Amino acid sequence: MRRTYLGEFEELVLLMIAILDGDAYGVTVSQEIEQHTGRVVTFGAVHNTLIRLEEKGFVTSELGGATTERGGRRKRLFKMTNLGRSALADIQQLRNKLWKLMPDPTLKLSGI
Amino acid sequence: MNTPQPPQWAKTLLRWLHPENTIEEVEGDLDELYAYTYKRTGKRQAVLRYLLNVVTVLPPFVRRRGSKTKYNQPFSLSPDMLKNYFKIAWRNIVRQKAYSILNIAGLSIGMACSILILLWVQNELSYDRFHTRANQLFRLTCSAGDFKAAVSPAGMARGLQAQLPQVKGGVRMSKPSPMLFEVGEKKVEEKRVFYADSNFLEVFSFPLLAGNVATALSDPGAILITEETAKKYYGTADAVGKTVRINNHDNFTIAGVLANTPSNSHLQFDAIIPMKTMASWNWDLKNDTWGNFNFYTYLELDEKTAASAPAQQKLLQQIGKMFKEHGEEIKIDFQLQPLTDIHLHSNLQIDVPGHGNIQYVNVFFIVALFILAVACINFMNLATARSERRAKEVGLRKVVGANRYQLVFQFLGESLLFSFLSLVIAIGIVYLLLPVFTMLTEKTLAIHLLDGKLLMSLLGIAVLTGLVSGSYPALFLSGFAPVKVLKGKMRVAGGNLLFRNALVVTQFVVAIVLLVGTAVVYKQLDFIKKRNLGFDKSNLLYLPMTGELGEKRQALKASLAQNPLTENFTVISDLPTKLESGTVDVVWDGQTTRNQVVFPSLDVDENFVKVFKSQVLAGRSFDKAFSGDSSNYMINEKAMQIMGMNTNNAVGQPLTFGDTKGTIIGVVKDFHFKSLQYAMEPLILRLNKWGGVVMVRTTAGNNEQTIKALEKINARLNPAFPFTFGFLGKDLDNLYRSEQQMGSIFNLFAGLAIFISCLGLYGLSAFMAEQRTKEIGVRKVLGATVAGVVSLLSQDFMKLILIAIVIASPIAWYAMNKWLQGFAYQTTLEWWIIALAAVLAAGIALFTISFQSIKAALMNPVTSLRSE
Repeated sequence: MRRTYLGEFEELVLLMIAILDGDAYGVTVSQEIEQHTGRVVTFGAVHNTLIRLEEKGFVTSELGGATTERGGRRKRLFKMTNLGRSALADIQQLRNKLWKLMPDPTLKLSGI
Repeated sequence: MNTPQPPQWAKTLLRWLHPENTIEEVEGDLDELYAYTYKRTGKRQAVLRYLLNVVTVLPPFVRRRGSKTKYNQPFSLSPDMLKNYFKIAWRNIVRQKAYSILNIAGLSIGMACSILILLWVQNELSYDRFHTRANQLFRLTCSAGDFKAAVSPAGMARGLQAQLPQVKGGVRMSKPSPMLFEVGEKKVEEKRVFYADSNFLEVFSFPLLAGNVATALSDPGAILITEETAKKYYGTADAVGKTVRINNHDNFTIAGVLANTPSNSHLQFDAIIPMKTMASWNWDLKNDTWGNFNFYTYLELDEKTAASAPAQQKLLQQIGKMFKEHGEEIKIDFQLQPLTDIHLHSNLQIDVPGHGNIQYVNVFFIVALFILAVACINFMNLATARSERRAKEVGLRKVVGANRYQLVFQFLGESLLFSFLSLVIAIGIVYLLLPVFTMLTEKTLAIHLLDGKLLMSLLGIAVLTGLVSGSYPALFLSGFAPVKVLKGKMRVAGGNLLFRNALVVTQFVVAIVLLVGTAVVYKQLDFIKKRNLGFDKSNLLYLPMTGELGEKRQALKASLAQNPLTENFTVISDLPTKLESGTVDVVWDGQTTRNQVVFPSLDVDENFVKVFKSQVLAGRSFDKAFSGDSSNYMINEKAMQIMGMNTNNAVGQPLTFGDTKGTIIGVVKDFHFKSLQYAMEPLILRLNKWGGVVMVRTTAGNNEQTIKALEKINARLNPAFPFTFGFLGKDLDNLYRSEQQMGSIFNLFAGLAIFISCLGLYGLSAFMAEQRTKEIGVRKVLGATVAGVVSLLSQDFMKLILIAIVIASPIAWYAMNKWLQGFAYQTTLEWWIIALAAVLAAGIALFTISFQSIKAALMNPVTSLRSE
């Protein structure tokens, strides 16, 4: 099986796309990130990451719905692919496995 | 709409710099984000965020979205498409037969021409390069003032080799001398026999088929002959050890058989005799003289010296110094002439015959390129003119999804198909024409198709022709906008027309320049032939005094004088076509400095002036009545001027020539005793005491009887030698052989260039007439005459040819002036030559066009107008 490489920010964006479920595009993704993590991200970072995710095959995109706020311009809507889903699942599993392997004192230490 | 708008300049910047394929979505997203921030935090924050965001999506920060192809285009060179291209090309060729024939004929004739010329050029350039150390071999030549000669003294080769470490080897060659060969019954005079030093075969790479390279030329009684000569005398190439009798005197044993001299060698020989043989009787060789310039000396230099010019200069200085040390007072400069330069760059006197001329090589190379260009232009022109026919196809292909490259490829492929077809035909033409061309150029040219280099260059020519001739149509046709083409009739753009006209003009410029060239070459040759040489060259027969004739001089003279046919004769030392003796050793009264001028000399007898019909300006000619004439001299006008005398005071002046003191008894009017390429040189005439050539002036119409009479005399006095004779007039004409050749080659190619241009013109005019059928119909209905219509159709082309004439005239003028400068005596370039060439070109062009235009003009307007 090919290993999937997913950067931290990429993972974050991918998660947002999953959360937004069909309504993900540049604006919504940046707003979600800001709201949920408090991180102020530049649009360029989001834009570049979206393109990179698509290149890696985790999402697909198509141009769709225009609104007046955008001066009639279409937005590019992103959708998860199966590969994206399984990548997220893989990461989740890996993390769980690693958490379980951790001896208790370490957790406690981190809890202090 | 009160959606807040971010600053316009930032938007412009974004639009300008952001990658095109994502600008819509990004601009929209940014606008939305701006509106969102504006609502939440106010304008200031919003603008700030907006600007920051814009910066992050500008290069180099932004990531580009790879453009996604919507469908998988098939590979451009897929077999199916290739098949289709071929099919279409073939159908086009077959359907438009006239057009294809014009095209292929033009291209193949053009290619055949350039292949022929290139064969010739290649042969000229290949001279003497087959020697393994060709770049290390040099010929020692000398010059005294303006007099440059290919010869050097006998003693120098060995002397230089002994003292100068740079000189690794030296070979002396004698001048070629005719000798009578006798094997059994066979007796033939061989003209190309050389004496050569024993290391001849080591320095030069003439292959020896039989015999020993090391010893072949060391035995004085030995001789090397070529395969051809061996076959001639023995019927087989295996002749080693056999005997040949030479000049009825000596028997030589054949020590080896040489391969036939390659045609691209400046040394052309039938037999080589060891120098040792000559050394037994030759004064120069016996004394190892440094003073008499009678031999060709070839030096092999070491690699370092051969490669650097300064080292050669140093060597020449050393040679000059050594020359002085040998007690030679005369001022002679020596030069090293690279072996590979001898054939094309030599303008030396006393040289082996048969040299080429680099100028002609260059000219013909350019002519070859031009003819090929003319042929390509033809192709382009016809293809562009016919582009409308192909427009629909182009449009359809584009609509179906062909991209421009595929179309370019298709059209280039088509023109390549044409050019390869033409190449095949061209090779056929070359095969057919080669014998004629070989006769014309007097060269053994051959086309070996299996020779990889030749094959490569032929393919190169075909590919180049295909690409060049196909380039414009391909780029032009593929540029059609499909909508325009498919919607209705495409109007041929003005730019296209201009380009086509420029091409036609170029073609005719080339043709006219070549025509002018032909005319000027012929005029110059005619001028040379008709020029007054200072003596009457007509009906002058000569008989070289070979064999016993030299010894039986008195008997010969007596028999000649007895016969009424041959009584008008003179004995001179050298023919005026190849006068080779000369000296600087001349002293006269009033001479201030040591003489720097070479004075050629000719030994003549008392009849000379009468027989040659030359003129004595002052004093008298040699006369039997004066016994002291054997030490007296006659000089020519030029010599008189050089000596600072005039017709009033020259006669009676003392003159010392060599060791003989004497008096000038007469001044003879200048006559040309060398090729007209050389300006008049001074000449000293001495009384002939030995022999040379008998010149007989026959009366017109008596040539054959005179020859018979001479043959009889020869048979009686000189039975062992075959009778040889010649006409001086013919020999003189032969001096201008290369010019004559150039003239006829020029003639041929000028004709072909015009022919090819006219092929193109014919095609173009056919096309034009076809395009204007309707217009002509309307005009005729309205009352236009046939003549009117013809002139209407011809006008456009005649304008182009007029422009071509204007452009070609100065080019031709300049080029021919340059060529004429090579002659000491040149004809004048007159305007009417150019006018004639122009009228001729225009006439031929008009004739070509008239076919189509008259056909169009005569057509019944009813047919043409009803056709829609």
